[in-house]
Amino acid sequence: MSELAIRRGAAPALAVDGLSYAYPRAPRRALDAVSLEIAPGEFVLLAGRSASGKSTLLKAACGLVPHFHGGEIDGAVTVAGLDAIESGPGELAAVVGYVAQDPETQVVSTTVAAEIELPLEMRGDPPTSRARGVEEVALALAIPHLLGRTVDTLSGGELQRVALAAALVTRPSLVLLDEPTSQLDPVAGDELIWLLRRLNEEWGVAVLLAEHRLERCLAAADRVVAMDSGAIAFDGTPGTFLAWSHASDPALTTPAARLFSIAGIDPLPTGVRQARQLLASTGAPVGAGALTPSERLVLLGRPHLGQPEHADPSKLREEGVRSPAPTALEARALWIELSRDDTRHDVIRGIDLEILCGERVALMGRNGAGKSTLLKTAAGLIDPVRGKLETPGGIALLTQNPSDYLVRERVGDELPGEAGAAALRAVGLEHAVDADPRDLSGGERQRLALAIALAGQMEGERLPGVVALDEPTRGMDRGRKEDLVALIDSLAARGAGVVVATHDVEFASEFAERVVLLGDGVVIADGPAGEVLSGGWYFATEVARVLDLPGVVTPEQGAAVLLGAGEGPA
Amino acid sequence: MRSPFAYTPRPGPLQSASPGAAVAYLGALATVAFLYSSPLVLLAAGIAAALAGRLAGARSAVRAAIRLGFAIAVPIVVVNALVVNRGETVLARLGDWPLLGQVDVTAEALADGAVFGLRAVVVMIAFAVYSSCVDPDRVLRALRPIAGRSALTATLVSRLVPVAAADAARLRDAARLRGPGAAEAGRAPLARRLLAGSLDRAVDVAATLELRGYSLESPKRARRQSAEGLWVRWAPKPFSRGSRFDRRFYAVGALVLIAAIAAKVLGGDGFHAYPTVELGLGPSPVALSALLVLSGLAPLRLNSQPMGRTRPRDGRLRSIDPGVPRGPGAAPVCLKAPRV
Repeated sequence: MSELAIRRGAAPALAVDGLSYAYPRAPRRALDAVSLEIAPGEFVLLAGRSASGKSTLLKAACGLVPHFHGGEIDGAVTVAGLDAIESGPGELAAVVGYVAQDPETQVVSTTVAAEIELPLEMRGDPPTSRARGVEEVALALAIPHLLGRTVDTLSGGELQRVALAAALVTRPSLVLLDEPTSQLDPVAGDELIWLLRRLNEEWGVAVLLAEHRLERCLAAADRVVAMDSGAIAFDGTPGTFLAWSHASDPALTTPAARLFSIAGIDPLPTGVRQARQLLASTGAPVGAGALTPSERLVLLGRPHLGQPEHADPSKLREEGVRSPAPTALEARALWIELSRDDTRHDVIRGIDLEILCGERVALMGRNGAGKSTLLKTAAGLIDPVRGKLETPGGIALLTQNPSDYLVRERVGDELPGEAGAAALRAVGLEHAVDADPRDLSGGERQRLALAIALAGQMEGERLPGVVALDEPTRGMDRGRKEDLVALIDSLAARGAGVVVATHDVEFASEFAERVVLLGDGVVIADGPAGEVLSGGWYFATEVARVLDLPGVVTPEQGAAVLLGAGEGPA
Repeated sequence: MRSPFAYTPRPGPLQSASPGAAVAYLGALATVAFLYSSPLVLLAAGIAAALAGRLAGARSAVRAAIRLGFAIAVPIVVVNALVVNRGETVLARLGDWPLLGQVDVTAEALADGAVFGLRAVVVMIAFAVYSSCVDPDRVLRALRPIAGRSALTATLVSRLVPVAAADAARLRDAARLRGPGAAEAGRAPLARRLLAGSLDRAVDVAATLELRGYSLESPKRARRQSAEGLWVRWAPKPFSRGSRFDRRFYAVGALVLIAAIAAKVLGGDGFHAYPTVELGLGPSPVALSALLVLSGLAPLRLNSQPMGRTRPRDGRLRSIDPGVPRGPGAAPVCLKAPRV
């Protein structure tokens, strides 16, 4: 972004000086001597692992800390000239907008128009001014068609845009966003980031965005601030951030940066476009250009990549060839209807699907594509209207909110007896029998919920035929995702067909051997992960978007191709 | 899954009307139900409310209200028959019951209970039509200057009730997904978990309200700076939030109320359950019933063409933005689909 738009030297949009803060009864400080200044019109990305203090810093900037949460605070926070520690969130609402992770709890009105209008009404704007403000922000966010709808009929992406509109309608000088894309599919997530960038450029609003999926927003940012244990560990440009993260905290590097780092190419790229430009300057025949992907593979000496490793399972069935592993889940001509807006809608439309024991399958697709509905039907929560869906070896389903499974105050009370102990052993939590589930970490709570779903379905140490996880990586940093990949591998190794509904393409490329892509209730792609995750744009990994080579989706695979040696895709 | 009583925006006269007009109209029908015991009048009020709901597009809300109303009416009839021993036509003698004593089921007590039940059904239908057709945000906005705290409470409740219902559905699903070897979820732990979750949700919603400026001075007392630089109280609203249908609903509501009171004064409520059932079918209850049924047509759109949309002969819909001014030099609005 140009210096003109960022307006350095003007009064800062946010100034934090020596801010330390501890939540009530917390054993340690959530923020420790944080000093930070954001210029008007600057787009700043806030990076860091879970519990590093990102959300607390955002809450301090909008006045929720300490006014709403209480606790002990020291230092100064100034937002567009207003003292955020003296003024409450209501007073600050005129100069700062805040969008949280969960869009469900950010709406307080029944209709979209009323939700967006509320801050203006609270400010005392007259009706004509309110009507114009609502219209302007709705047009800016491309949601005028939603104004007449009720909020409970919106998808997650739509709801997140409405929350953003309500935060922006007062034309604040600073907008704070706490992992706004964590519940969105790749399409809606990318749209939201570029919408923010457009508003940042057109309206001159400063943006402070906390995110875990850095590859999604690093290219849009002017500056990156990384936090660690409540303190600022890094503050600089996106390019220097990648060099720092590579050396200091590799969990914060992006897949494209890892690809370059393994391949020994400098500098590390902040996004797909820069990565392609850098590769083009090295003369590597990758990225979009005159050559087709297969021609580029021949030039790179890897013509075998992207070839299907095995034939289409349905064709195998037609030819009477039996799969070696038993079937874990089988759907035949499956139709599922759900009620919406007083009418019944087809959510799954006549799909055929077979998943084998020991397979690791990523179920992907946009919000509303039917992923969760399919899993719930497999678990018996929804009855299909036509066709059949069978899980001969049983199914254990972990839904999107693991906390829903935890209703008691001791792990051992949730899982009594030998069946409970076996389930705890299956997820590696046998040491936590006497713990309170609320004292466990987020990842441990997720594993405990999975153990509750598994309990009693295991014959000895044998798992049920299908273990299904619905969106398990929401709000997870990369470290926790790696733990989850290890758990999935161990479950599959013990014979369970593991099906994970996810929006996270990078996570899918890490764990899945097969990807089933749903679109509008039908299977639009089904094949090896390398093939499906390199065959498009939105449902493709960053490495696949950079290299545009069939079958190359992970940094390791990409680096192997670039170096012209090593192993191909799994 | 959405509740059938949840508000759904539709382009109908009842939905467009201001909350005051809608309340005046539906409230008049509910008031008739409380004023009268005549089954004929109650039936007519019920038909009017159901017809209004159907014309306003709230068919599922009306259906759900009738189901719920009958689910409430049946126990009322049964309990009334068991606890009221008045009436001369004894249908069954059930002997001595603990607490109740001698229980005689009479036709009069059954009829009286049925009238109570019918009244509950009518009120339920009127409320269902209100709930699904009147925008709660507009109601709360109208309430806020009058009763700020009540409006805040109503805002929190109106948001948290559907969220808590969704949480409860999720918890039920999670309870069903527990493996057979896990401890049963149990009603008490689930209720505790739901309560804790609702409190967390309430805190989140309260934080959002803070961020929207709800804690600021009430909009009623908000002031603006005049052109002369003086702080003055708000000027009257520059544009009205009402609709062109308001007068119709106010008029129909007033007509129904006046007719109902007049007929009541003239002895039009000719129903007595005890000692024997008497149902007066004079001209005034019949006329009132006819008026009530006709009042159910109030939400009818007289010009049946939906606003801003036309259906050309080929059946394809085309949108016309009514907000775009079309001057004399503007191109004519195309009502037919162009030939392809």
